[in-house]
Amino acid sequence: MIKMRRLPLLVMCCVLLAGLTACGGHGQLEKAVRSVLVSGDTTRAAFDSLCSIVTDNPGKYGDLLTPEGKLDYKKMADFIEQIGSQLRPPMHWDTRPYGGVEDLSLTIYFERSGSMVPYDQRGGSGQLKKAVNDLINHFPAGSKVAINIVNDGIYPYNHTVDEFLKDRDIYQSTAGIGDASYTDFQLIFNKILEAQKPGNVSVLVSDLIYSPQDTHGVSIDKIFNEENSLATRVFARYKGKSVVVQQLMGDYSGKYYPYNGVPFQYNGKRPFYLVIIADSDVMDQLAQDKRYDGVLNATEVRNSYRFNQGTSEVECRVLPEWKDNAGRFRVKHGDGIVLAKCDGDRQTGKLCFSLAANLGSLLKDDALLTNPSNYEVKSIDGYTLTIQPIDQSMVTANNKEYLEGMTHVLTLVGDLKSPRDEVRIALRNELPEWVIQSSSDNDTSSAASSFPTTTLGLQQLLGGMFDAMKGGNSFFEITIQLQR
Amino acid sequence: MKHLVYLIAGIVVTVVFFILSCSDSFNIYEQLFFNQGYNDKMYNLNMYPVIAAITIAIAWGGAAIYYYAINSVKFDRWYHWLAVLGVVAVLAPVVCYIYNDTVFAHNGLLYIGESIQFEMQTVLFAALLFIVASYSIRWWSSNCRHTPLPQ
Repeated sequence: MIKMRRLPLLVMCCVLLAGLTACGGHGQLEKAVRSVLVSGDTTRAAFDSLCSIVTDNPGKYGDLLTPEGKLDYKKMADFIEQIGSQLRPPMHWDTRPYGGVEDLSLTIYFERSGSMVPYDQRGGSGQLKKAVNDLINHFPAGSKVAINIVNDGIYPYNHTVDEFLKDRDIYQSTAGIGDASYTDFQLIFNKILEAQKPGNVSVLVSDLIYSPQDTHGVSIDKIFNEENSLATRVFARYKGKSVVVQQLMGDYSGKYYPYNGVPFQYNGKRPFYLVIIADSDVMDQLAQDKRYDGVLNATEVRNSYRFNQGTSEVECRVLPEWKDNAGRFRVKHGDGIVLAKCDGDRQTGKLCFSLAANLGSLLKDDALLTNPSNYEVKSIDGYTLTIQPIDQSMVTANNKEYLEGMTHVLTLVGDLKSPRDEVRIALRNELPEWVIQSSSDNDTSSAASSFPTTTLGLQQLLGGMFDAMKGGNSFFEITIQLQR
Repeated sequence: MKHLVYLIAGIVVTVVFFILSCSDSFNIYEQLFFNQGYNDKMYNLNMYPVIAAITIAIAWGGAAIYYYAINSVKFDRWYHWLAVLGVVAVLAPVVCYIYNDTVFAHNGLLYIGESIQFEMQTVLFAALLFIVASYSIRWWSSNCRHTPLPQ
């Protein structure tokens, strides 16, 4: 029989044991995942160390293994996502590059029209061919790659990918394929979109000059209207697609065929384009998955723009420790961004807070993203916005967790007067300035200073795509609730 | 029976303290000291329950040592009990700070000033829990049951 005086000791032991059990219940793996996410050490080495915890303890973490005893990457990713969602702020770690996800396939559509041949002459620098080769090489080694030649139709390239990469005169080796005198964009885009399977990335390599059959005597405005309408019609038919248009510059040496004039010899620079077409989720993966680094952010790209259907979800986190912060606030954890117990700065009365956001998946250039005039900011107290890209000098040990995976800091400042306020930030959805600047309506002479940098009717073609894919008035929206 | 009620009440208070230390929406530690970045890291690294467990263990352990290990008529005055309370109130924040600092250092974080401020709470909680523990278990001590105040 237990003596009465030992009762408190017994109870104390029970309380301690219960407490320790509660602390240790999360397990080694959860602790390690939390540590990785909090320290911002989201690297392959960190992922491998987490995987080894699972594989070393098959009895404890059997639910994260396949029946064959191998790591189930999908379940592991779900587990990490679940832990990440419990954190403050919720964290996301894209573990797809580390395995378990099938590689994307790539289909190249190489335009072989008369006006494209001078881009890849033996004497030129070969930027066009290099851009396509780089694109293929930026896909993981295991990816399926198919190459097609396009002009009046789509024709398969009857050689291997290695032969394509080594081919020094691609237009010579593909001579005689199709009718090079015109390019039927309607047919090409329709076929590309129709043929596209899930997990596929299709890339049209083209000068994007609309050159239909028999334009003799037809006004340029009529051609432009036709071009605009067909682009809208084609892309409006296929939902859930995303298109990235990249502009690059290449050496051009040969005959140039203007819209309604006499062909003339031109030696110099000319723009060409990579039109990357994929399902929206695949495009998001291309933008975020490190295995595809270089596909959408190649250094040779002069301008680029992502056409997207609908408003994008942008991941963002309030920065509790930031040099610009003024006044006080508490971030409420739960749905949406809510700053509670807001208090203005003691001296100025202003409230200033910053958010780290990942605007990378929007694939917009920095000039557009960092210009506050491109944003619409609505609030009762008239908050103003500034945006700056994140660079390594801003990252400290204590804020690394918040800045990890983010590209820009959005800072809002305003006079805190209302007891409750709602600040709404939206990036306006407009055709970018570079498209207008890169477009011309007359290409009959190379003497014009804009000739080396402009493309006939580019604004009409991309404008048509823009109209078809414009899902809303903004690329993304962020709403912040302020409570005093 | 009355003594058993004290013991149960003490356990309930302690368990409630532990539960509130784990809570996200109403965390007892975040009511007295709040620094968003620091507190988020404490929460994310699951440190609140461990800090609470250390505080509970030292407070109840200190009381147990006083009433059952020391348990001597030579040390049955109120100031002896107060001295043990003082030791508990110093030891708990020191141990918590060391734990805090170790975990932060392991994760490459630096919060020295915030950690010191935060541990001021532990002084308070450790002292309160020591008083709770004392009133829960003193009744079964053979020599110190009248300390700090006679029955």
